Amino acid sequence: MSQDTKDRIKHLLVQSVLKNMKAADIIDDSSLIDLGVGLDSVATLELVVALEEEFQVSIDEGEITPEILESVNCIEAFLSGKS
Amino acid sequence: MKTVPELFISAVNKFSSSDAVTEGDKRVSYEELGRFVNRFSSYLTSLGIKKGDKVITLLPNSIEFVVSFFGIAQLGAVSVPVSTAFKKQEIQFFIEHSGASLVLTDEGFAELLKDSASESGTLVTVVKEDSSDWQKSDEIQLDFDCIRPEDEAIYLYSTGSTGKPKRVSRTHTNLLALADNHTQTVGWNESDRVLFTIPISHTYGFGNFISSIKIGAAIVTLGEFNRHKVLDLVEKESVTIFPAVPVMLDALARTHIKEPGDISSLKLVISAGAPLSEHIFRAFHSKFGIYPRQLYGSTETGVISINLGDSIEERFGSVGRAVKNVEVLILDDNGQEVQSGQVGEIAVKSPSMTTGYYGLPEETAAVFKNGYYFTGDLGRIDPKGYIYIVGRKKLFINISGNKVDPGEVENVLTSHPLVKEAAVLGVSDDKGGELVKSVLVTEDDVESGEIMEYCSDRLAGYKVPRIVEFVNELPRSPSGKVLRERLK
Repeated sequence: MSQDTKDRIKHLLVQSVLKNMKAADIIDDSSLIDLGVGLDSVATLELVVALEEEFQVSIDEGEITPEILESVNCIEAFLSGKS
Repeated sequence: MKTVPELFISAVNKFSSSDAVTEGDKRVSYEELGRFVNRFSSYLTSLGIKKGDKVITLLPNSIEFVVSFFGIAQLGAVSVPVSTAFKKQEIQFFIEHSGASLVLTDEGFAELLKDSASESGTLVTVVKEDSSDWQKSDEIQLDFDCIRPEDEAIYLYSTGSTGKPKRVSRTHTNLLALADNHTQTVGWNESDRVLFTIPISHTYGFGNFISSIKIGAAIVTLGEFNRHKVLDLVEKESVTIFPAVPVMLDALARTHIKEPGDISSLKLVISAGAPLSEHIFRAFHSKFGIYPRQLYGSTETGVISINLGDSIEERFGSVGRAVKNVEVLILDDNGQEVQSGQVGEIAVKSPSMTTGYYGLPEETAAVFKNGYYFTGDLGRIDPKGYIYIVGRKKLFINISGNKVDPGEVENVLTSHPLVKEAAVLGVSDDKGGELVKSVLVTEDDVESGEIMEYCSDRLAGYKVPRIVEFVNELPRSPSGKVLRERLK
């Protein structure tokens, strides 16, 4: 996967969870947990569904651990394992 | 049949060989459930629980939740269901406010509450594990004669504008009426199998739960919403009724399914807790071939209405007609009925409703008037009796069916050492729902992530602000009231 993938992830994060951020302000390896990602199960579900739609993969909510949501890099690595 | 234990025993005797509850691979018949509940009452007695005592059930949807509720009821004690989404500080409030002498929970929560509960003298016991003590208890002979229909059976908590949840007490009479109103309207029967992934501890889940038991339906439990598990369970357990909230229906409609299972057993999908958008209504139907039906209810009254009409395509936006035995009026600001079709406040009279909020006489007097509960919701009724909700007067935020009191979140925010002032409000998301937004005046620089984490340690996830903004001062009216509208 590429920087393009990471940019698409950032875009989805802004749409589903990080409502008051700009995609450009999210750094690839900065902690998403510190920004509030993963705190709310509804927002996490929205993110999972959005990731499925964007990357055409199947994700079970039960697969999503705090480690996967740690950073954009971690989400990208998780998606790489899916494709 | 006038009390919850009588309702339960009647179901056990009538539907003894039918499934009562399933959880994963575990399956309990009504006859077995009767024995489990008896043992549970015996166990509670050994812990000193007696009539009138308050017992918190801090459990996910599970066999143990069902057993606990009726085990408590059979002793004439009062159930206090508390959501497992809550954090330690929130749970402590419920323990103290309800005066609970016992908390029934799992190992994780027992560890979390170990110190604080012992300080308050509340016993915490683990009932959700494979070899819990209650399962080893002997069955006992119980005397239900001491339980009167007017006795308190359950405490539920309503979100309000007081900064803390408000206690709503419901009697045995109220709960039997709740089950009657619901089942007589919807026409459930003993062949129904109801999937519970919405929490039974919440008024919406509880109404469906007590109704299911009354008519001998099977309760198919799922502790946490999971799209694939929901679809698997519908097929495997031949689920006929699925109470949900719009965010669940949206996620299901958008889920890519490689091999769709057989969900033809499903005959009723209920949507409640938040408005159902036309997009979700149509997307869900397009994917699964069944229309979601909106239901309307409140913690104070139980179920109020459900949309079971034939013309669902035209009236998808309606929460339906009042259920049996429930009266709904639309009133103007002077308490007079408006003309048909006009908008006003929705007022409800129901045999299942509470009489007020514990310890809050002013709040009670403001919304319980002339035998009606003034919901704070604005709505209209069409000539056929279909109710449409168009807005609300109350100050709370609706997050996917979970109500958030801005005052409660503001209290937590201002307890942060760097936050001087806080205003919390609901803002629209891009799907017709709401988000919690906070606007803060701080004494020094602080990151929004730190604020979210601080709230997350003290509040259920859905109450944590998703948007955090900083300002030099909050806009206020001449009387000092924060002008929230200007902060949207």
